[in-house]
Formats: sequence, structure tokens, C-alpha cells
Amino acid sequence: MDYKYIEQLLERYWEGETTLQEESILRTFFSQPDTPEIPENIQRYRAIFVCEQQKEEPLGEDFDARILEQIGEAPVAKTIMLKDRLMPLFKAAAIVAIILTLGNAAQAPWDIWEDPREAYVKAQEQLADTVNVLTTIQAENVSDTIQAPAKEKSTYLE
Amino acid sequence: MKKVSFRNDILPLKNELYRLALRITLNPAEAEDVVQETMIKVWNRRDRWEELESIEAFCLTICRNISLDKMKKAENQNSSLEEGHDSADYSYSSNPEEQAMQRDRIAVVRQLIDNLPEKQRSCMQLREFEGKSYKEIAQILGVTEEQVKINIFRARQQIKQQFIKTENYGL
Repeated sequence: MDYKYIEQLLERYWEGETTLQEESILRTFFSQPDTPEIPENIQRYRAIFVCEQQKEEPLGEDFDARILEQIGEAPVAKTIMLKDRLMPLFKAAAIVAIILTLGNAAQAPWDIWEDPREAYVKAQEQLADTVNVLTTIQAENVSDTIQAPAKEKSTYLE
Repeated sequence: MKKVSFRNDILPLKNELYRLALRITLNPAEAEDVVQETMIKVWNRRDRWEELESIEAFCLTICRNISLDKMKKAENQNSSLEEGHDSADYSYSSNPEEQAMQRDRIAVVRQLIDNLPEKQRSCMQLREFEGKSYKEIAQILGVTEEQVKINIFRARQQIKQQFIKTENYGL
């Protein structure tokens, strides 16, 4: 095999004129197993290129965990917890609203047969009540979603 | 500029940052501290991520600056051992027993690199180990491309000469 090319590359390497690609050719060349036919003037530099190929990877998963903890994964977790904690309340409010609506609705039919006009007015009132109750629930929900921007932080972590 | 994610884009740089920090501080525990500080600093500037040309270069620059700070602090604490020896001769060639133990040539090369001045060391690390272009290195170190080339040229020459010297000495 002709080692002229490698010799040339080496020469240019010492002068700092090789491209990244040529340097990787050199490194690949020297990472091959040692053979006696490689001339001594090339062979002697093997250690330099082999050394450059060894990369340590000392930081593992535990390091990641430590960093993520330090940069405040915690506050993100807290906002999620807050929402989770309030969830049963929303559910309870929804159930109460449903019961009230159904209760009103159940009472309404008994009056209807007496006087249709009165019944109509009552029904209108009840409808207005229900709308009121719904708006307050919606208002609660809106005030909840205002907290949403706090979650933005978590999107950086995705 | 695409969206940068800490978990997917920055955290995986940890070992690259560690290698650079280790190359500068020459102390594994210190290097790990540096990487940790770098990560937190980068995180605290997350509002600027989108403006950056290269988040990797940004991280490496911060990592180097923190490493240099640590070195300065360490130097203040104890009298510098660095000043006297000029990387020319190191213990492995002075003591025959040690010499025998340190026959491992790769260890010799590593030692030679570690004995270079900091700038050359950083340039070598980024070029030879991480495969960065001159332009990227210049950006990371905040110097001109020309200076990077000069540093790498000097570093390679130094390593070559010292390596041959030790080889001949050993024979």
C-alpha cells in the first residue's frame, strides 16, 4: 500500500492546513490495527491520533436529574398540583349546578297546569336563575385559566 | 431559528462541555462543577435562546469562561506551580521508575496536551476532539479565525516535538 498520501496529510496536519475531513481521514487511518508495513515515520505518531479519538462520557443520567431539579422542575410540578387539587372542587360545583337545575326543572311541571301564563313567567325566571348559576361557574373557570401562563415554563423543558 | 429545548438540545452537550472544562481545569471534580454551573447559567438565560446563532457555541463559551474563573480563583489560593516549568520536561522522563510505569504513549500525549498553554489547549480540544471548524472555535473563544489557526499550529508543533523528544528519550 502507498503511504504517500498519509505522509502528505501528516505534513499538512503539522502545518495546520488540513481540513476537518482530512483530519478525520488521518484519525481513521491510525485507528486501524498496527501493521508492520506502515513506515516508521508515520507509525510513530499513532498515539497522538489515537489519543484524540478517545472521548470520555463521564456524566450520566444522575447528572441530568440533578440539573433538572436545580433549574426548577419543582415550580412546574407545583402548578400542575394546584390545578389537580382544585379539580374536585370544579367537579363538585358542576354536580351542584346540575342538581339545582334538575331540581328547578322537576318543580316546574307541577305549576304548569294551573295557569299557563304564570307557568310561563316562572319558567322564564327559572331559566334566568340557571343562566346566572352557569355564568358564575364560567367565571370561576376563566379565573382558573388565567393561571395558565405559569405553565409556559414547562414548554421549554419538552 | 428553531425552537430550543433544554432537555433535547442543551442537556446532551454535557459531556462535550465536561471535556472542555476538564481540559482547562485539569480536575474532574472541578470540571463537573463547571458543567453544572454552565447548565444553570444557560437555563437562566433561556429568554435569549431563540436569538442565538448556535446554542452549542453559546454553551461552550460560558463553560470556558466559568472554567477560566475557577482557574483564576485556584491560582489565588495557592502559589502557582505553573510558572516554573515550561511544559518542556515532565516527571515521566526524570524518574526511571515512573518512566517505566508511564510507558503508555497515549498517556504521554494526553500529558503533553495538558501542558500546553490554556488557549492552545482549548483550541486543540475543540478542533481535535470535538471536530469543530476554525470559524466555530473562533466564535466560541471570541478571537479571530487567524488566532485560532496560529494556536492550533503552535499546539500541534509543540506536541509533535515533545512527543518525538520523549520517544527518543525513552529508547
